[in-house]
Amino acid sequence: MSSERGFVSVKALQAPSRREVLRRVALAVTAAGLAQGIDPADGAQVHAEVESERTFRGEYDVKYFNAREFRALERLAELVVPADEGGPSAREGGAPEFIDLLASQNRELADIFTGGILWLDAAAAARGGKQFADAAESDQTALLDALVAAERAYGDGETRWATGEYARFSVFGIREPAEARRGLRFFGWARRLIVDAYYTSPVGIKDLGFVGNSSHTDYEVPREAIEYAFGRSPVREA
Amino acid sequence: MAEKDYDVIVVGAGAGGGTMARVLGERGAKVALLEAGPMIDPRNDFKTHKWPHDYGHRGAEDGGRAYFGRGTAYGFFTTVSGGWQLEGEPYTSAPGTRFEWFRSRVVGGRTNHYGRMSFRFSEMDFKPYSRDGIGRDWPISYEDIAPWYDRAEEYIGVTGTVEGIPSAPDGKFHDPPAPKVHERLIRAAGRKLGVPFIANRRAVITRSINGRAACHYCGQCGRGCLTASNYSASQIDVFPAVETGNVTVITDSMARAVEVGDGGLARGVIYVDKAARSERRVRGRAVVLAASACETARLMLNSKSKHFPDGIANGSGLVGRYLMDTVGFSLGGTLPALENLPRYDTDGFGGAHLYAPWWLWDGHSKLDFPRGYHIEMGGGFGMPGPGSFGALAREAGYGRELKRRAREAYGTLVGLSGRGEMIPNNQSYMDIDPEVVDRWGIPVPRFHFSFSDYEWKQARHMERTFRDLIEAAGGKVLGIGNTAREGEGIAVPGSIIHEVGTARMGDSPAASVLNKYCQAHEVRNLFVADGASFVSNPDKNPTLTINALSWRTAEYLAEELRKGNV
Repeated sequence: MSSERGFVSVKALQAPSRREVLRRVALAVTAAGLAQGIDPADGAQVHAEVESERTFRGEYDVKYFNAREFRALERLAELVVPADEGGPSAREGGAPEFIDLLASQNRELADIFTGGILWLDAAAAARGGKQFADAAESDQTALLDALVAAERAYGDGETRWATGEYARFSVFGIREPAEARRGLRFFGWARRLIVDAYYTSPVGIKDLGFVGNSSHTDYEVPREAIEYAFGRSPVREA
Repeated sequence: MAEKDYDVIVVGAGAGGGTMARVLGERGAKVALLEAGPMIDPRNDFKTHKWPHDYGHRGAEDGGRAYFGRGTAYGFFTTVSGGWQLEGEPYTSAPGTRFEWFRSRVVGGRTNHYGRMSFRFSEMDFKPYSRDGIGRDWPISYEDIAPWYDRAEEYIGVTGTVEGIPSAPDGKFHDPPAPKVHERLIRAAGRKLGVPFIANRRAVITRSINGRAACHYCGQCGRGCLTASNYSASQIDVFPAVETGNVTVITDSMARAVEVGDGGLARGVIYVDKAARSERRVRGRAVVLAASACETARLMLNSKSKHFPDGIANGSGLVGRYLMDTVGFSLGGTLPALENLPRYDTDGFGGAHLYAPWWLWDGHSKLDFPRGYHIEMGGGFGMPGPGSFGALAREAGYGRELKRRAREAYGTLVGLSGRGEMIPNNQSYMDIDPEVVDRWGIPVPRFHFSFSDYEWKQARHMERTFRDLIEAAGGKVLGIGNTAREGEGIAVPGSIIHEVGTARMGDSPAASVLNKYCQAHEVRNLFVADGASFVSNPDKNPTLTINALSWRTAEYLAEELRKGNV
């Protein structure tokens, strides 16, 4: 039942003050960096929000990961699908809980994440002396940049890539791609599950603007949408 | 358990068997309907209106097994149906050939989840040999079957518009829903290229009939419909059949053989009661096989007796022969015109609201393949599920750019699928594997399959047409693989799940298994009511024709029973 629902309920996030605060906090954490800090006025409210957040997420008992691993997953979820104007991060979409649930039921997946997070923490420590969740944001993103660069150079080991073609599109500096290659399989799985958790959660569905799974007496297609598409297309409606 | 006698034993509770049992039951015949799987309970079995986040695994199933290719066929949300492999019930393929066999062991069979495309065969479909000298004519014409198409459509409910296209006869239609934005773009591209897109013909009702509510446009037909606004043999045939009081459904019972009496007539069916792991018999005045083309042929070939050493009604040696699937090829693309499209509900009535019937039916002299195909379409703002943004995420890397791209690209993908006619050939058939039996001790089918140049060239025509359509709409075709390889350049045989043939109809007992009423030439109280009777496999999805043929056979059989002829 509720212990399986690892996301923040839509209702909670639709309360504007809470949503706005969460957004600002999340932006402070992910985009500008921790050094920029959080507005003290927000701080008090954030504290209360984080408390209630804890209460909600406390409903989920972590089944497989230890505390260090789970914190790494939470941070990864915030970085891979960060909070932005469209919605909160994948952490709020329940990604860490989703991954934990599947790992608790699937040895193969659990092994990918156990080894992957050990690799991630070691790689972060090699950079700045701290494990991934506690590392400076610049070290965290540098690691993810290296993973993406390695993926574009080598493929993720499971997906066949036109590597040459995609390498051209890389906007990330290729630093140490060979080292990062060892983390690719893990990264591929982590991103896949984080992205899926976010976009299947109520906050992700809202972000996309999916308005289906509904019920109508008549089916209508808005004129506005038709005109928008034909206005941008080489074809015309008869 | 006491054996009980019935008028008719029907094997299989799908489109053919469901129609047969209902029509016979309505006419007062006592029917036993054997089904290899369980009864279906829509209230508990259907996942209508559920969200991925209603489940901890979000639709990826326990342990995320869908990610590892071990998930439910067609996804977690699809109604209980079946799969490509069933535990304990193998099938084999001859070396060097491949055939995928989808089986549903449940009341309603594959109609619980199917695409519901409902197209009438045309006169040219029934007389292909007369037109081009390839394949074989059916023993019936369009005029023979048209009244039963009318009956089936009026009862089932099929959408569409009257168009007067010779290759796609009009029917008794419910009003179709308005086309979606991406469908309008493709339709406009089709106008440029001479490919006509018209309202889709699907077994969905848009006005209330027979106590069934009109479609409410949630787009989830494949999950099973709690309001029975679409056709499934379970809800629309089997449940009403049971309500007649004349039809007894015997579930979880796997037919092994048709029992033959001293006079060479069918006496009943020998089956395995799965729960009891015991063999049982059920007897009747007539037997109707509707277990799906390959199960029906398997059952016939396994029904050996002194009268029929090569299998019941198989004096011609044609049982299992001329197995056909549909020619399939799909191509996807992105339409940049749809980026950041104002959001609206694209669920609609399930499948696409438009399709293109075969438009070059009088132009084959200029083509390098003899028969046609129709075009199906996909796209829109689908409900996000596991994997929906996998490719996009890899391309975008991570972070804010990933989210921006997801919003921008959501709903820009379109897919076009061709569904074409395969010509029956000598290399494509099934027989019984000499060594392998299933967990019920029943010998299993062995498949032999080969597409010819006819099918491969048709698939290349699909590829060029789909590329042209996507590009004319301003889109970019997504990469395609090796078009000379099965599974890339043409759908793997069997994978379209339109397998038909194996016990074809005809006027000559030497060259066919069944007569024009789908009655075995050699056994007058044995009938077939599934796709096994098909002489050809036009580009029209087979279910509606199975419904119509079964209805016609049921009325014929009811009359023969009344006259005492069977």
